[in-house]
Amino acid sequence: MYGPEDVESSHDVLVIGAGCAGMRAAIEAHDAGADVALVSKLHPTRSHSGAARGGINAALGNAGEDSPERHAADTVKGSDYLGDQDAIELFCAEAPGDIYQLERWGALFDRDDEGRLAQRAFGGAGAPRTVHAADVSGHVLLQVLYEQLLAREIRVYEEYFAWRLVVGATGCDGVLAWDLARGGVRALAAKAVILATGGSGRVYCGSTNAHACTGDGMAMALRAGLPLEDLEFVQFHPTTLVPSGLLVTEAVRGEGGLLLNAKGERFMRRYAPEAMELASRDVVARAEQTEIDEGRDVNGSLLLDMRHFGREKMIERFHGTRDLALTYAGIDPLEQPIPVRPGAHYHMGGVATDVDGRSEIENVFAAGEVACVSLHGANRLGGNSLMETIVFGRRAGRAAAEQALKRSGSAGLAPSARVDGERELARLLERHQGERPSRIRDELGASMHENFGVFREEGGMRRQLELLENLRERYRHVLVDDRGEIFNSDLVQALELGYQLDLAVCMVSAGLERRESRGAHSRPKDFPARDDENFLKHSLVRWSNDWLDLSWKPVTITKWQPQRRTY
Amino acid sequence: MQVRLHVQRSDPVTGETRLQLFELELPREATLLDCLEQIKDEVDGTLAFRRSCREGICGSCAVRIDGRTALACRTPVAELVAEGHAPTIAPIGNLPVVRDLVVEMEPMWQKMRAVEPFLRPGPDCGLDGRETPIPSARLDAVRKESLCINCGACVSECDAMTVSPEFLGPHALVKAWRLVGDPRDDAVAPRLKGLSGEHGIWECTRCYLCNERCPKGVDPRDAIAKLGAEAIAARIDRDRGARHAKWFVTSARTTGWLRESELVVRTLGLAFSFAKIPLALRLFRRGKAPLPLPRHRARDLAPARELRHIVAGQDRRGALGIVQGERALERIDFICSPEQPVGEDEP
Ligand SMILES: Cc1cc2nc3c(=O)[nH]c(=O)nc-3n(C[C@H](O)[C@H](O)[C@H](O)COP(=O)(O)OP(=O)(O)OC[C@H]3O[C@@H](n4cnc5c(N)ncnc54)[C@H](O)[C@@H]3O)c2cc1C
Ligand code: SF4
Ligand code: SF4
Repeated sequence: MYGPEDVESSHDVLVIGAGCAGMRAAIEAHDAGADVALVSKLHPTRSHSGAARGGINAALGNAGEDSPERHAADTVKGSDYLGDQDAIELFCAEAPGDIYQLERWGALFDRDDEGRLAQRAFGGAGAPRTVHAADVSGHVLLQVLYEQLLAREIRVYEEYFAWRLVVGATGCDGVLAWDLARGGVRALAAKAVILATGGSGRVYCGSTNAHACTGDGMAMALRAGLPLEDLEFVQFHPTTLVPSGLLVTEAVRGEGGLLLNAKGERFMRRYAPEAMELASRDVVARAEQTEIDEGRDVNGSLLLDMRHFGREKMIERFHGTRDLALTYAGIDPLEQPIPVRPGAHYHMGGVATDVDGRSEIENVFAAGEVACVSLHGANRLGGNSLMETIVFGRRAGRAAAEQALKRSGSAGLAPSARVDGERELARLLERHQGERPSRIRDELGASMHENFGVFREEGGMRRQLELLENLRERYRHVLVDDRGEIFNSDLVQALELGYQLDLAVCMVSAGLERRESRGAHSRPKDFPARDDENFLKHSLVRWSNDWLDLSWKPVTITKWQPQRRTY
Repeated sequence: MQVRLHVQRSDPVTGETRLQLFELELPREATLLDCLEQIKDEVDGTLAFRRSCREGICGSCAVRIDGRTALACRTPVAELVAEGHAPTIAPIGNLPVVRDLVVEMEPMWQKMRAVEPFLRPGPDCGLDGRETPIPSARLDAVRKESLCINCGACVSECDAMTVSPEFLGPHALVKAWRLVGDPRDDAVAPRLKGLSGEHGIWECTRCYLCNERCPKGVDPRDAIAKLGAEAIAARIDRDRGARHAKWFVTSARTTGWLRESELVVRTLGLAFSFAKIPLALRLFRRGKAPLPLPRHRARDLAPARELRHIVAGQDRRGALGIVQGERALERIDFICSPEQPVGEDEP
C-alpha cells in the first residue's frame, strides 16, 4: 500500500503538470542545477500529450527546401497575424536543435530512405516540416521525456491534484494540492512554480481532449490574479469522429484523404481552391460548419474518404485511425468513408507569458497549452503545439531555475494556507444536498458548443453568459457523493468543474468584446471581416474581486505586416 | 441497450470486498468506460476507477472483465452483454488494490526503473545539435515495443509474477528490449547481464498470455524472447534458463528430438543433477521420462533442421511477429560444438 506522505515539502522549482511541457521544463530546471519536483493529477505518461498523433514541426529541410524563416512566415500567417512575431521567430529558430536533442534522448521518429528524419506536409505549412512517429508521435515524445525524467531521478508527486496557487507579498510561495491516492491536503512550497497543466477542451462537449483536460492551470492562475490572454480563440479540429469526438489525424488529409459532402462533392474546392483539404484548420472547420448549416451534411457530419489509400498504406501508416473508426463508429475506412465534424481541439489562449514563460508574477511561469506566449495567435498550425511544449517548456524550466536559485533562504508556505484549504474542502465534503456535477458539466459543454462554437454572434454569446451565471449559481450547491479520503475522484471532478465554469465565463466575455472575425474566432453574421485597425491586439482577462476585467495588449510585429489570409 | 454489470467494490479502509450489480441504459456503441462513467455520474459517485483519454492511449483504465484484462475504453459493451450476460468487472491482478478498480501501480514502476529505462547514447547517436542518419530498418527492431502505454494488462495476466512477485515481468522487459534493441544504445552488454540474473528474462514461463492480452499489440513475450536470444548471442548464458534454451536447440539439431533426460544435466549442471537422481529414477520407473540410452533420434532429421534454418534466417523483427531464436542460433552452433562433439552423423 501507499506509504504515508509528508504533509509539507519544499523545492526550488515546482512544475504543475507532467505532460510534454511539464516534463521538458523539469528536465531543464534540473539540468540548470535546481531541486525540482513535478506535481501531476495523472501519472506522467497518462498525460494528453500522448494522444497527439500527427507530429511536431521543425524546419530541418530534410524533405524539401525549408528554413526557420519560412516556418515563421507560415506560423505568422496561420495565426492570422495575431501571433507575437518575436516569439515566433525565436521558436522557429530553436526548434531544429530541440528535435535533434529529442532524437539523442532516444525518440523513435520515422526515417526517410537515407535514414534521416522523415518530414511530412501538414495543414497551413508551405513545406513538409512535420517530424513524426507513425501516428503515435505524441506518445513517443511523452515516453522519451519520462525516460529522461527517470534518468535524472526527478521527484514526481503523482496523482496529486493541484488546486490553488498560494500567492503572498513577495510572489508565489507554492501550491496546495489534494493527494488523490492517500487523501488529504498537501502544502508544497517552492521558490518558483511552472504551470504546465495543458488544455481546457472539456469545457465543450464533443472535444478531442481527454477527460482530464479541464483547464485547471488557467483557472488557478486567474484566481491568483494573473491575466489570461486571447481566451476567445479555440481551435476546432475539422475531423473529429462522430459521435465520440475522437480525433482523426490531420495526417489523413496530408496523405491524400478527401472531404466530401452529402452530394459526394469535394466541397473544399469552393472554400480553398488551391490548398483544398490541406488548408488551415480554421478554414476547413468553417467550410464544414457552413456545409452543415446549409444542409449538405449526412446526419450532422461530413465524410472523410480514405478508401483509395489501399490496404497496405492503411495498415502500415494508419492502423490507429482505422482501429479508431472500427471501435468507436463501427466503420472500416477501407470500405466506407468515415463521418467527421468540427470539434473543440486546442486552446490558443492561456496564461499570458513572455518568451521565457514568465507571467506577471515574477516567479510564476507557464508553458505548453496552458500558456499564451503568443505563438499561435488566433489559430494554431498543426504540429506547432508539440514543438511549443518542448521549446517553451525548456525555456521556462531554465528561467524558473535561475529565478529560484537567485531567491535566498528556503521556500516556505504559511501553515494557515493549508488549514484554510482543508477547511474549504471539508465544507464541500460535508454538504448533503445539492446537484451532481455531471449535469452542470453536460449543460456547460453542450451550450458552449452551441453558442461559442465554430461560429459566434452577439445574441448567442449574451445568452451563453446568462446561462453560465445560472450554472455557476447551481455550482455553489454542487454535491460530492464520495466523502472518503482515498482515491476520491468525485471530489476532484467537482473541483475541476469549478475551474471550467470560471474559464467559460472569461472565454465568452473576451469573445463578445472582439468585434471582428479572425482565425478561430468567427462572427459571420455580425462582424464577418478582420479588423486590424481596432483588433490587431491581444485580449487580457482578469478576475479581481469577483469582477471580470477586460483589457488589451499590442501584438509584436517584427517583419510581417498583416495581409489578407488566403490559402 | 440494457446493460447489467457486477462491479467489484472494495473498501479502502477495511479492505472488505463485494460485488455490486448495476443496471444501466446506454447507446449501442457505448464502451465499458462509458458504463463506468455513467455509474459514477448518475448512480454512485463513490465508484473509483482511473481514466483519462478514453481512446486507448493513456493506459489508465485496464480492468479485468470476467477475468480477462482489457482497457475499459476499448471494450464495446454490446459484445459483453450479449444474451443477457452480466459481466464481472474487477481490478487488474498482481498489483495491490487501493479501492474498487484502482490498483497501486508503484510496484510496476519500480520494476521499470530497475531496467534503467533510458537510452545511453552511443556513437551511432550523433552529437547534440546535429542529425545522424540511421537506416529505418535498424530502428524497426524496437518499433513494436515503443507502442507500450504502461497499462499493466500484461502484468495483470502474468502467472510467473503471481508465483514469483519479484520477477521483472513483461512490462519492464518490454522497456528493456526497447533499449537493448535500439541501435543507438551503448549499454547493451551490461543491460543483458543485469536482465539475465535472478528474476530476469529466464523467469518467464512462456505462457504467452501477455501477448494475447496486450491492447497495443506489443507482444511482450516476443520482446523477452529477443532479449534471451541477444543474451545468448553475447554469451551471457550462464543462467539455467539460457542453458535450457540452448539445449533445446542443440538437441533438436543433432537428433531431431528433445532428449529430456539430458536436458536436466545440461540445464542444472552435473553436480546439481546428482541431487535429482532419486526423482529421475522415480520418473523412469513410472514411464514419465525416457531412459537416456539408447539415444532418442528422429527417423528423419531434415524437418527439424529445416525449421532451424527458417528461424535462423529471421532478422531482429522476426518472421510473422513470432520470434524465438533469431541470430543467436548462429552463435549457438559455435558455442556448443567444442564441448558437444555430437556431429550430425552421430548415432
Ligand atoms: C487528440 C489530439 C491530437 C493532437 N495532435 C497534435 C499533433 O499532432 N501535433 C501537435 O503539435 N499538437 C497536437 N495536439 C496538441 C498537443 O498535443 C497539446 O497541445 C500538447 O500536447 C499539450 O501538452 P501539455 O504538456 O501542455 O499538456 P498535457 O500533455 O495535457 O499535460 C497536462 C498535464 O497537467 C497535469 N494536470 C492538469 N491539471 C492538473 C492539476 N490540477 N493538478 C496537477 N496536475 C494537473 C496532467 O496530469 C498532465 O500531466 C493534439 C491534441 C489532441 C487533443
Ligand atoms: S509469457 Fe512470460 S511474461 Fe508473458 S505473461 Fe507469460 S510468464 Fe508472464
Ligand atoms: S506491454 Fe502491452 S499490456 Fe503491457 S503495459 Fe505495455 S501496452 Fe500494456
